[in-house]
Amino acid sequence: MPTLTGEFIAFFIFAFLVIGGAVFMLSFTKVVHTVVSVAFTFLSLGGLYVLLQAEFIAFVQILIYTGAVSILMIFGIMLTKHNEDNAAQQWTIHETLTAIGCAALFGILFYAIQNVSLVPMTAFDPGQDNVAALGELIFTERVLPFELASVLLTVAFIGAILLARREEEEQ
Amino acid sequence: MDSTFVQYAWLIPVFPLLSFLVLTALGRGFRAAGPIVGIAAAAVSFVLALLVFLERLDGTKDDYTWNDWNWIEAGGFTLSMGFEITNLNALMLVIVTLVSALVNLYSAGYMSGDERKTTFFAYVSLFTFSMLGLVISSNILMLYIFWELVGLCSFLLIGFWYHKPEAKAAAKKAFIVTRIGDVGLLIGILMLFWLMPGHHLDFTMIGNAVAAGDISESAATWIALLIFVGAVGKSGQFPLHVWLPDAMEGPTPISALIHAATMVAAGVYLVARTYPIFMASPAALDTVAYIGAFTAIFAAVIAIAQNDIKRVLAYSTVSQLGYMMLALGLGTELAWAAAIFHLFTHAFFKALLFLGAGSVIHATDEQDVRKLGGLFGSMKITAVTFAIGALALSGLFPLAGFWSKDAILTQALHHGNVILFAVGVIAAFFTALYMTRLYVMVFLGKRNKGRKEAHESPWVMTLPLMILAVLSVAAGFASMPGEPWLAGWLRGVTLTEHADWLVIVLSNAAAIAGIAVGYVLFRKRSETEAGESEPAGLYRVLQNKFYIDELYQAVIAAPYRALGNVLYWFDNYVVSGAVRLVSAVFVGIGRAGVRLQNGQLQTYGLMILFGCILFIVAIAGRRFF
Amino acid sequence: MIVNLASSFLTLAAILFCLGLFGALTKRNAVIVLLSIELMLNAVNLNLIAFSKYGIAPSLTGQLFSLFTITVAAAEAAIGVAILIALFRKRGTSDVTDMNQLKR
Repeated sequence: MPTLTGEFIAFFIFAFLVIGGAVFMLSFTKVVHTVVSVAFTFLSLGGLYVLLQAEFIAFVQILIYTGAVSILMIFGIMLTKHNEDNAAQQWTIHETLTAIGCAALFGILFYAIQNVSLVPMTAFDPGQDNVAALGELIFTERVLPFELASVLLTVAFIGAILLARREEEEQ
Repeated sequence: MDSTFVQYAWLIPVFPLLSFLVLTALGRGFRAAGPIVGIAAAAVSFVLALLVFLERLDGTKDDYTWNDWNWIEAGGFTLSMGFEITNLNALMLVIVTLVSALVNLYSAGYMSGDERKTTFFAYVSLFTFSMLGLVISSNILMLYIFWELVGLCSFLLIGFWYHKPEAKAAAKKAFIVTRIGDVGLLIGILMLFWLMPGHHLDFTMIGNAVAAGDISESAATWIALLIFVGAVGKSGQFPLHVWLPDAMEGPTPISALIHAATMVAAGVYLVARTYPIFMASPAALDTVAYIGAFTAIFAAVIAIAQNDIKRVLAYSTVSQLGYMMLALGLGTELAWAAAIFHLFTHAFFKALLFLGAGSVIHATDEQDVRKLGGLFGSMKITAVTFAIGALALSGLFPLAGFWSKDAILTQALHHGNVILFAVGVIAAFFTALYMTRLYVMVFLGKRNKGRKEAHESPWVMTLPLMILAVLSVAAGFASMPGEPWLAGWLRGVTLTEHADWLVIVLSNAAAIAGIAVGYVLFRKRSETEAGESEPAGLYRVLQNKFYIDELYQAVIAAPYRALGNVLYWFDNYVVSGAVRLVSAVFVGIGRAGVRLQNGQLQTYGLMILFGCILFIVAIAGRRFF
Repeated sequence: MIVNLASSFLTLAAILFCLGLFGALTKRNAVIVLLSIELMLNAVNLNLIAFSKYGIAPSLTGQLFSLFTITVAAAEAAIGVAILIALFRKRGTSDVTDMNQLKR
């Protein structure tokens, strides 16, 4: 029985919010509502990252996911004028099988998690300043992935523009 | 010994076989060839049979056997085929070939208008071949082969007019009922095979084995009873008599040939040939005698109430075969000979009666006696010969039937018991009664209005009638009470017997009484119009043949059909269902596969998920299996 | 002795991942499918960061990894929406079940 610490309570609250957001995302009928709830999930995840002493990542998460990605999705909704409501569907066989598959996967993962013993060999040292420590790591040890990531971003950026450009009208 | 002709006795069945092959090859064309080839083959066979018979007539010849063709050789056991000529065989050969020749001649007239004439003569030739083969078989297995062949020909000929549903049903019934008997015969043969030393099945070997005591009495009883079952089926004894009256759906010439003179006599012939086995078992002999006696009186009583000419004659045949079985069951040499004698005379006068009935049917297209009458004036030859046949059947002195029936009754009185004798006499009374009824209703009285004018039949039909009539008179003199020449000749020993005047007087008295009663009872009826009031009570029971057919239908046929339906259901739903299930599984798998290829990415994603899970479970889960 | 929250974090990540997978495979609207994919990626991030603190050899590498994952995820979301818009323009529908040209 773990001792009840503040960390524990905080974790539970955040976990509850995360899962709630995800579940509501799946069950809302109006698309905009789903985006809002998933944004909520992202926020809560940021809080969890803080608990894990990854402040910078938490900040980046909120900035990019809750900020950029959610807005991007809303833009996507706006630009694809579909019916506002996803009518509540009957559970088809596809959904049933998918549910079973996901439950099975969860079962396997849960079993694996329970049977692993995570005893850290050394203590975790996040450094005095998380940002500085991370920056040092990026630019010294992992500079190559950093460069590649920037290339990727460039390509994605150009590709997105190209794809979304309105076709030249045949004149 | 000069035995020139007997070596060629094997040719006797060959001529009808050749006739069958030729006629089958000719097919529907050459319709005129049918009668010619058939009659020619039968005539040649008759001449040869007569030569063989005459050669043996002095009684000094031994039995001739030729057994050299080895058919099966298995391990140490050899089954050889061949033929055997004894005095009994020689007599049967003459009977079969003579009646066959006469029937062939008659059919040339009777079947002259039929489209499938050639097929008819082909079948008749095949039948003659089979019957002759049966007669000269040297071992019991060969006899069984020909026995089945004869049954097949009977089936083909009964159902000859296959457009008629009654004919088809009658053919099937005949085949199935005789099959029941044949199963018994087959089991008897198998038992013989098992018990005989050296597994020989020749008749001579059987006789030797029984005489030497190699077969115990209980075994002999079983074998004899089983063989008798076969005879019951083929000769139409109770309870397997039901096929014979229905077999009258076939053309009348073959009713005469097959169901009067020859095939039905095969049962009697079988018992006669395997008599040593029967002699070793008094129980079997008693069974034979009592069944024969019962059948004789049972069929005679039914015949009184039948309204179809041919059915009356059919029941009459059953009854007379009962007489023969009665004689065979008595167990003495003289009784055995009496049975054969009766077979001999019966062949002639029964064939005569059937051919006469055929003549009537051919002239008037009518078979119901209530609608016939007054034919004496217009068909003299038929009427006179029919009368001779009827009187011979009734057993009136000095016609043929009297001598043979008297021989049987004498033996019954001396060596059987009084019950058998009394049954025989009473059945003789009934025989005369129904024959008189038949004759009176068909030939005497006034012509029935509304029936067409009848003319005498052509010479091809009346000539056989006359020949048979002469034989019906003369054949009886072969054996007289007090001088059993025929019996002695058949057996190869000299036999003596005293003439028993009581029997002679009683049998004649029964016949005359039957004729008188029949005339008085049925004469008035033939003068009234055809419609009769519904028969009541006992008469109705007799007319419906004691409801035996209905009994069989309810007790045997209907449950079998129900069983068949159950098994059909089982076969269709369970067995075939299993097969269909297998195919359905594969079709189902295929269809499921089709559903997977719907172009939906999410379906493919689901499949990938399942594949992943399966993979993980297979690899990482190995610790559990 | 404090029992750490490692397994709780990992379980939470597993739940999130499975929910996201369900959404990705089930939803008919393409936008929601994309959102579900983002959810899955988030679950991965949570896993990485949890391992960075509670794993066998705790270090900052996990956090660094998750940084890159976020980058890639964002790029992919952008591309996804762009494709979706292009498809919508072509077909007039954003229903995933209508995109079945893999059938031929």
